Amino acid sequence: MTVTTTTEPAAPSAAPESPVPVREASPSRAARMARSVGRWVLAYLGALALFGLLAWLKGVNPFEMYMEMWSSTFTSRSAIGEVLLKGAPFILAALAVAVPARAGLVNIGGEGQVVMGTVGAAGAALALESRLAPWAMILVMVLAAAGAGALWAGIAAGLRLKTGINEAISTLLLNYIALDVVLFLIYDRWKDASGFGQPASRPLLSSSRLPLIFDAGRLNIGIFIAIGSALAVWAVLRYTSWGFKLKVAGGNAEAARRAGLSVGALVLSAMLVGGALAGIAGMVHFAGVEGQLRSGITFTFGYVGFLASWLARHDPLKIIGAGLLLGAISVAGDSLQIDAGLPAATVNILMALVLFAVLAAGRRTQGARS
Amino acid sequence: MIVAASTAAGSNLLVVAVLIAGVTAGTSILFAALGETISERAGIINVGTEGCMLCGALGAYAAASATGNPWFGVLAGALAGGLLALVHAYMVLNRGANQLASGLALFFMGLGLTSLFGAPYVSKQVDTFSKVAIPGLSKIPAIGDIFFNQDPLTYLSFVTAPAVWFLLFRTRWGLMLRGAGERGEVLRAYGHSTVKVRYAAVVSGGMLAGIGGAQLALVVALAWFENMVQGRGFIAVALVIFAAWDPIKAMGGAWLFGAALALGPELQVRNAGVNQFLLDALPYVITLVVLIVLARKRLESAPEALADVFEGSRVVSSP
Amino acid sequence: MTDTDTVIDLATPETATPFIEVRGLTKRFGEVLANSDVAFDVRSGEVHALLGENGAGKSTLMKLLYGVYHADEGEILVQGEPVTISSPAVARDLGIGMVFQDLRLVPAFTVAENISIALADQGFVYRRGAVEAQISAAASEMGFDVDPGALVRHLAIGERQRVEILKVLMAGARMVILDEPTSVLAPQEVDALFAAISELRAKGLAIVIITHKLHEARAIADRVTVLRGGRIVARGIDPTTIDDRELIGHMVGREVPALPAERPAPGQSPDPVLRVAGITVGGDGGHTAVRDVHLDIAPGELVGVAGVSGNGQRELFEAVLGLRSLGGGTITIDGTPVRKADPRIAIAVGGVGIPEDPLAHSVVPGLNVLEHMVLADLGSVRKGVGIDWDRARDQLAQLDERTQLRIAASHREVASLSGGNVQRVILTRTLGDVDARLVLAAYPSRGLDIATTRRTQELLLERRASGAAVLLISEDLDELLELSDRIAVLHAGELAGIVRPGEVDRYEIGRLMLGGNE
Repeated sequence: MTVTTTTEPAAPSAAPESPVPVREASPSRAARMARSVGRWVLAYLGALALFGLLAWLKGVNPFEMYMEMWSSTFTSRSAIGEVLLKGAPFILAALAVAVPARAGLVNIGGEGQVVMGTVGAAGAALALESRLAPWAMILVMVLAAAGAGALWAGIAAGLRLKTGINEAISTLLLNYIALDVVLFLIYDRWKDASGFGQPASRPLLSSSRLPLIFDAGRLNIGIFIAIGSALAVWAVLRYTSWGFKLKVAGGNAEAARRAGLSVGALVLSAMLVGGALAGIAGMVHFAGVEGQLRSGITFTFGYVGFLASWLARHDPLKIIGAGLLLGAISVAGDSLQIDAGLPAATVNILMALVLFAVLAAGRRTQGARS
Repeated sequence: MIVAASTAAGSNLLVVAVLIAGVTAGTSILFAALGETISERAGIINVGTEGCMLCGALGAYAAASATGNPWFGVLAGALAGGLLALVHAYMVLNRGANQLASGLALFFMGLGLTSLFGAPYVSKQVDTFSKVAIPGLSKIPAIGDIFFNQDPLTYLSFVTAPAVWFLLFRTRWGLMLRGAGERGEVLRAYGHSTVKVRYAAVVSGGMLAGIGGAQLALVVALAWFENMVQGRGFIAVALVIFAAWDPIKAMGGAWLFGAALALGPELQVRNAGVNQFLLDALPYVITLVVLIVLARKRLESAPEALADVFEGSRVVSSP
Repeated sequence: MTDTDTVIDLATPETATPFIEVRGLTKRFGEVLANSDVAFDVRSGEVHALLGENGAGKSTLMKLLYGVYHADEGEILVQGEPVTISSPAVARDLGIGMVFQDLRLVPAFTVAENISIALADQGFVYRRGAVEAQISAAASEMGFDVDPGALVRHLAIGERQRVEILKVLMAGARMVILDEPTSVLAPQEVDALFAAISELRAKGLAIVIITHKLHEARAIADRVTVLRGGRIVARGIDPTTIDDRELIGHMVGREVPALPAERPAPGQSPDPVLRVAGITVGGDGGHTAVRDVHLDIAPGELVGVAGVSGNGQRELFEAVLGLRSLGGGTITIDGTPVRKADPRIAIAVGGVGIPEDPLAHSVVPGLNVLEHMVLADLGSVRKGVGIDWDRARDQLAQLDERTQLRIAASHREVASLSGGNVQRVILTRTLGDVDARLVLAAYPSRGLDIATTRRTQELLLERRASGAAVLLISEDLDELLELSDRIAVLHAGELAGIVRPGEVDRYEIGRLMLGGNE
């Protein structure tokens, strides 16, 4: 044969090549976009409708419920403050999922890493509070929490690299171990002897707590830490070569290897950074809201962060929105409990429905591209 | 951490007592692990097994309380778990959703649904299963107390594990199911549908997890309360790996975890002076350690289709 | 048929209706005419070899018979009856079975379980004993040595192939199509396969074997049909009546236009850029894929690698770039030893590669053309902790200018491009690198049009002219003969010989590729 080395034309794609892009958006780019937006709106509405139906089954008028949720969440300054307060650790915990996701990892261990963050912050406070200036104490707590969270995530990364255990499984198990670590500490080592009722660690001095933004309410600078972190993660992933390498390793590990990247180091660093962010989420909650280590301190922040990250398709900027949305749903959950008489955990249904909606609607948009 | 409401009375020997309570405590994990084995053998991992167990627990408790018959409870638990798993099957098989993300959403769904519909059942009493001694066998020293003086659901699990094994390895259906989890394209080349068999696998997996939840509510805890499964579903998912996707090995693994769960309370009863919370972490630590030891070897026997999920990122294959 | 006169038709007068007969079969893929007006028949009790180069349309023809593709024109007759083969299931019902190159087996299953998948329903319970006995009986009838209880993943590739054949037979096939069955087999396994095929012929089955290896066609076939460019050029020849030269003439056909370029002589430096000294490399299946290969490439020298695909080319390529560990021997690039499987060693000394499967090995979903360019050489665009995208854009513009391969716009996602356009991106980034000391190109012109292929070849010569050592792996002998200073021929992982294009002809190279001794 001469110069053409065509392989067996097994598929139509073996047709003669044109150097010009073949598949350019045809006339209906706007129409496609509208369809895509429409699908997402429909998905979200579907989630709300289903949740309304469930509430109705429990004898709650869904329209009143949504009105109630809306007004309790967005109509007063203090309510908006609560949304921001709740949203801050959600944003950080979501970033803890998004960074490893960039490298192709599934970190379901945000929960344990958040918990270890609270442990790290509490430990630092117990050890150093009397000796450090307030600002230094806060800084040290952030570092200790980040370190503890990174350690917890690092275990999972190490297991993946050394033994091949999938990080989704190991991080799930580490979540439960972290909870028991907290229980051990508050019932034993760090138990506040002068406390009453439920065992807890000694409360933080008020000077060591995260400063409030307004004189009234509970809103503290945690939301700035969260939004700042999201912006930083966004910038790092977008502008640094590390961020670029993560994307390569997550997209095609073999291509990364062939390009001379160290995939193992990327996996480890992504998990460590993720764990550190989760740890900071724990610190923000600990030093901003709780002030002492107690059982059930984080509820399900790590899991909510997972949902938020998937909602935002692991985009750090969208995570700010997703974290605040879930923060709002969470605050609305309190109103569910108070006004509609539904258990607070009911909001988990709404969160799950929203994620299902995104998972179901998201695939189609992807499919349309490829 | 909940374990058998009644510690093994009459048995002073720690090992025997732990094993007796361990078999009871491990049964819910066993059912869930058997279900997850079926699902994963078909190539679908369901990390929302925890949610299916929660639904099963509440379904069982509610039905048992409505009918006064715990067996209706078990049936309702299976149905509830299966229905929830159906959502996962739809998301993964019809909507192409990421299995791990969909599974976690499933956990949230189960958590939320059961707290929404479970509130009236908190602190409600129901008729539950009681222990039934098997004549003759229960008289064997130690072994008799451990295995043959148990509740009917535990006996059911003794039968279910070999039954699942038979189903997977000795029936045509099992052959197709495992084929779907290994190389779906081979099955499709011979005109078999992989979607149908995977639907069946995921839903029956959820049903077994539901029965596991039922056992937890009706035998172990004798109560319903929010988030009562406390990670047993996640342990079950990990257990499937280290049992190398084998129902019989899963039995041993489940009892090991059950024993780990039971160790703490038994030691407490004896005032052993060991911190309870470190003991509570034991099942998870053991799971991790066993995985560390066995993972490399086990992962080789993983159904091929699962590798796609576990790899996280996949090398794109040529079109 | 306009070119009837060029067709040799030695088919003996028919004594019986052939098992299958096709007339005027035509199949197009878009613009490409994969099969054109093909007529062909296979009789029961014969082995019919379908011969042709890669891309001649052999597999397409067989997939038409097996119902994977549907013909645009023409008719198919099975035992004299016109049929429409709309799916593989219909083909199987008609008694047509196919053994694909990538076998349709589940590695985690036993032989019996695999075969059971293909058999009609046998009730709910899988009776292992009964199925295994049935398989043993069928196997011994065919003279196959098969353990029905063995796991397929533990079987050698040749054994797997016999399992696949057995499966096809037990599903009721009267005709078996074997698609390039020997391409993955070691010579002794080929002998075993041919023995099995002879057994089937004696049982009265119709056998079609697709191949591009002459000696195999000779060894096993009763009749040979040659395809070229989708057309039949010789039909039903008795292979004993024709010599190799004539058969190759049918397969290849055209005259080869020469590359115009005048070339400088390769460098005479005593220190080669690439020194491969007695390396042994394992393949994916745990077998030895490359055995004791020695090869030096001087600066400014282009060495071609010829060989039937699967004879160690891939493993050699990957070993040199540090993607695969060595079982023995040494590799040095510009004096730097490639001590372990770490691609960074070769990259650091200026080694670049065009992989054989760009989509799997080089394309990152979600990344655009510019990002793929940067990926190859992150160091050169570093700016603090970040990446200097402006510089990267400039570099890309330079590369594009230099290579003239007309790549897609820099913002386009590479994974969404067509195969040929993906290859342009890879070629641009690899062949545009003027500093490369060692260029490894595996099938660089796959999927490209004629003009781009020619440009690619010019670029390979440009790299050679700028002092790089170039290793070109190709299936196209003409390409190798045109471009290479020397051609290394691989057979079964060993170096069968190194020849100079001016001193040998293609038949000589072909002989070496087939394992003939020097």
